[in-house]
Amino acid sequence: MIEVRDVTKTFKLSRQQKREMGHSFDGNSVDAVAGISFTCQPGRIFSLLGPNGAGKTTTLRMIATMLRPSAGTIVVNGHDAVRDPEGVRASLGFLTGSTQLYDRLTPRELVRYVADLHRVPRDVFTKRRDEIFDSLDMGAYADRRIGKLSTGMKQKVSIARTVIHDPDVLVLDEATAGLDVIASRSIVELVRRARDRGKTVLFSTHRMGEVGILSDDLALIHRGRLLFNGTYASFTAEMTGATLEDEFIRRIEGAHA
Amino acid sequence: MNTILTVFRKEMIDTLRDRRTLMFMIIIPLLLFPMLFRVMFSVEKSQSDKAKAKKLRVACLSQGNASRFVAMLDERDDIVVLHAVARDSLSALIRSDSLDGAFLVASTFDEDVADLKPGRIDFYYKSTDDRTILQNRLRETIDRYERELLDERFQRLEMDASIVDAVDLKSHNVASMEERVGKSVGGMLPYMFILFCFLGSMYPAIDLGAGEKERGTLETLLTAPVNRFHILLGKFGVVVMSGLLSATVSIAGLYIAIKQTSQIPPEFMELIVKILGWDTILLLLSLLLPLTIFFAGILLSVSLSARSFKEAQSMISPLNIAVIVPAAIGLIPGVTMTYRTALIPVLNVSLATKEIIAGTIQAPHLALVYGSLILLAVLSLYFAAWWFRRESTIFRS
Repeated sequence: MIEVRDVTKTFKLSRQQKREMGHSFDGNSVDAVAGISFTCQPGRIFSLLGPNGAGKTTTLRMIATMLRPSAGTIVVNGHDAVRDPEGVRASLGFLTGSTQLYDRLTPRELVRYVADLHRVPRDVFTKRRDEIFDSLDMGAYADRRIGKLSTGMKQKVSIARTVIHDPDVLVLDEATAGLDVIASRSIVELVRRARDRGKTVLFSTHRMGEVGILSDDLALIHRGRLLFNGTYASFTAEMTGATLEDEFIRRIEGAHA
Repeated sequence: MNTILTVFRKEMIDTLRDRRTLMFMIIIPLLLFPMLFRVMFSVEKSQSDKAKAKKLRVACLSQGNASRFVAMLDERDDIVVLHAVARDSLSALIRSDSLDGAFLVASTFDEDVADLKPGRIDFYYKSTDDRTILQNRLRETIDRYERELLDERFQRLEMDASIVDAVDLKSHNVASMEERVGKSVGGMLPYMFILFCFLGSMYPAIDLGAGEKERGTLETLLTAPVNRFHILLGKFGVVVMSGLLSATVSIAGLYIAIKQTSQIPPEFMELIVKILGWDTILLLLSLLLPLTIFFAGILLSVSLSARSFKEAQSMISPLNIAVIVPAAIGLIPGVTMTYRTALIPVLNVSLATKEIIAGTIQAPHLALVYGSLILLAVLSLYFAAWWFRRESTIFRS
């Protein structure tokens, strides 16, 4: 379970960043996320939606303990993100569209490295690795350098890396960004399988199609604030736009008005 | 500890598979000296052989004097003597390389020699380094001629030739060969070791910091249940190991270079091999270890601040000067180990190495060098750890 309570993240701005903000901006800091709260339940898929710069990545990075919240609390699987960040990370599988792989390692070496970092016992690791490699059909290229693999193959390696320690919580940040339909499908399957096994899944995406087929719960974030937080069913029930995309745009534009 | 080793092992594999890093860490330090020595000695030999084999064109305007000297020149197979050259054009002909030299014998030469006065001969030549051999070949004849004239004079005056030596000065240098070599050649060794230590650490540090950020692989580490300090220590270990490996490989390269060079006198060679013994090398490496940790801390901090590999390179390049300058100051004659210089990083290693090779290092100086280096190493590690924990460092964009 992920519990986010009144979380704010304030970034201090450098001189150059202040210049880039324009003359109308006279502060020294900016709230990338401002007092947001939501809960992701085990066995459910939670979608975090929002346009670029809305605060999605900052939120997910705080959940993954890469960033420290300026205010509020985040609890992942019973571990406080500030007081026990290693406990949070131990129960977390984190996959983003921007996270790359070590090109000079082979998939087998990379997966073992991640498992060692998560202190997975060797016998458990071997069994789990073989299962994952079989299910993703990775056997043929498990000993080839990652740099020589295709995008689709790399995506499968990313998935294997994310789940090798069998995390209770999966956090996916724009994980399908830049992927073709076939490669995206492996991510969608990963999310579904995780939900079916009772895992907590939080993912952010731009693709409304994925939101429609995967989401149990949904939050819409814009300029660091939540515009909607509830079940996917309640979101669609309140929809006045013709499609999910129309509704998404309508709500964002409504926030500007 | 296991985590540090896990990170270290993975980063080491990754580093050793990177051709660029491998080039700077192993290939260049290993091949530089053998190649440098080979090129240097073969160019020098070919130049010297060419100069020795060349048939010299020399003008000799004797004005009817010094007939024996002229005959000596004419007898030589390796010299073409020209007697009919205009006196005014001598300098111009030599400057344009039409002549290799010219002798102008004074019109009063024979008369002066007969009166036991010095007979004047003007020797014209163009002095540049590569022509030294040519000048020496011409001087040989003059020296031989002068010796003959002197012998004749001593015979004529019925004197013993030794009376011209009023003082019989015999010099005795009590400095051992090791000390002399240590203070001269010994200065070059630390310069090379320090430089390779820095260069060897540089690329792994850039790759493991900025390179990892640029490639977008850092999140894999940051989302693992690992203390960031342990991650840093794993990376640190690889950077330090690379620097030391590079310095050690450069010693091996130097050893190979010396072994394959036949021009080095055997006694000198024996001494160098003795200098490059295990005890000296281990002592040098023990000095380089804290220095490399100091370098690693700075390099990793700078590298982690950079947004890309290229930015890290441009930020780190000026640091080369900060390493080269104090290392080079150690080469200047007269700069010695004192309580003050023992506290200056890089320079202290340079001077201490020189003293170790010469066998003149003093224990208090060495202790001060170790103390200051260990303190700097700890401070740099502490700074790098603090730097690595900052969000603005890791997510700088």
